[in-house]
Amino acid sequence: MSEQTNIQTTQQQMPAGAQSGDAMPLELSPAVDIIENKDGVTLLVDLPGVGKDSLDIDVDKNVLTIKGTINLHTDEKLNATYMDVHAGTFTRQFTLGSELDASAIDASLKDGLLKLVVPRSEQHKPKKIEIKAG
Amino acid sequence: MISNMIRFPSSLFDDLDEMFFNFPAGVSRVRRERGYPPINMGVTDRSVEIYVFLPGMKLEDIDVSLEKNLLSISGKREREEIEGEESTIYREERFKGSFKRVVTLPDDVDPEKTEAVYKDGVLHISVAKRSEAQPRKITIKA
Repeated sequence: MSEQTNIQTTQQQMPAGAQSGDAMPLELSPAVDIIENKDGVTLLVDLPGVGKDSLDIDVDKNVLTIKGTINLHTDEKLNATYMDVHAGTFTRQFTLGSELDASAIDASLKDGLLKLVVPRSEQHKPKKIEIKAG
Repeated sequence: MISNMIRFPSSLFDDLDEMFFNFPAGVSRVRRERGYPPINMGVTDRSVEIYVFLPGMKLEDIDVSLEKNLLSISGKREREEIEGEESTIYREERFKGSFKRVVTLPDDVDPEKTEAVYKDGVLHISVAKRSEAQPRKITIKA
C-alpha cells in the first residue's frame, strides 16, 4: 500500500521535473537489463553516445534517476537524411525496494553501456542458518 | 499488510516508466521496428556521415564493409557476464544476438576514403564524396 502512494507521488512530480515551457525535448527510454543475485541487483543500461560528463545518476529517497545526453560531435553543417534516434536525451527512473542499499550504488560507464550495481542492504542478505546437532 | 509481506520479485525494482505508458511527456523508446542497431545519417558538402548506436561492443565483434555505395554493418552482441551464481534475469530489453543493417549511400561517395571511429558506444563512419561531387569555388575573372 505504501509503495503505491510512493509511485503516485513521483508521477505527480514528473511534469515539473521535466521542465516547464512548451518546447519539451523528446526523450528516449534506454533499453535496460536487470539481473538479480544474492548480493543485490545489477542494471545494464544502453546509453550510446553518452559520455561520462553528460551522464547524471541520482537517488532521491528510493527513486533512482538516470539521465544522459547524447553527444555525437556532429559537424554543424550536417543535413540529416535519415534518423532512427530522434532525441538527444535518455531518461529512465526506477523505484528501489527497501531491501536495497541506495547509498552504496556502484556505477561504471564504458562504451555507452552503463552498469549499476545496487547491493542488498546488509540485513537483507540471505544468511545461511546453521543447524546444530541436537 | 499481507501484500507487503508476500513480495513478487519485481517489487525489488519497479520500473516507473511503465506507469507512464500514456504519459504525454514525449518519452519513447528507441525505435526498433527498423532493426538493430539504430542509425542516424546525414550529409555535408564533402562527406556522408553515419552514426550507428551500438553500445557496449568489442571492436572485433563489429564488421563494417562498403561495396560500391552499399554500407553494411553487422556483428554479434553478447550477453554481459554478471558475477555470482544464482542470478535471475527479470528484465531483458537490450538487444542480443546477430545483427546486420545495410544502408544505401548516395552514388557519389568514394569508398576508398572511409573512416570509422567507435566512441562512447557510437560507431561513426565517415565516407567522403568523390572530389567531382564536392562543391567547388569558382573564381570570377575581371
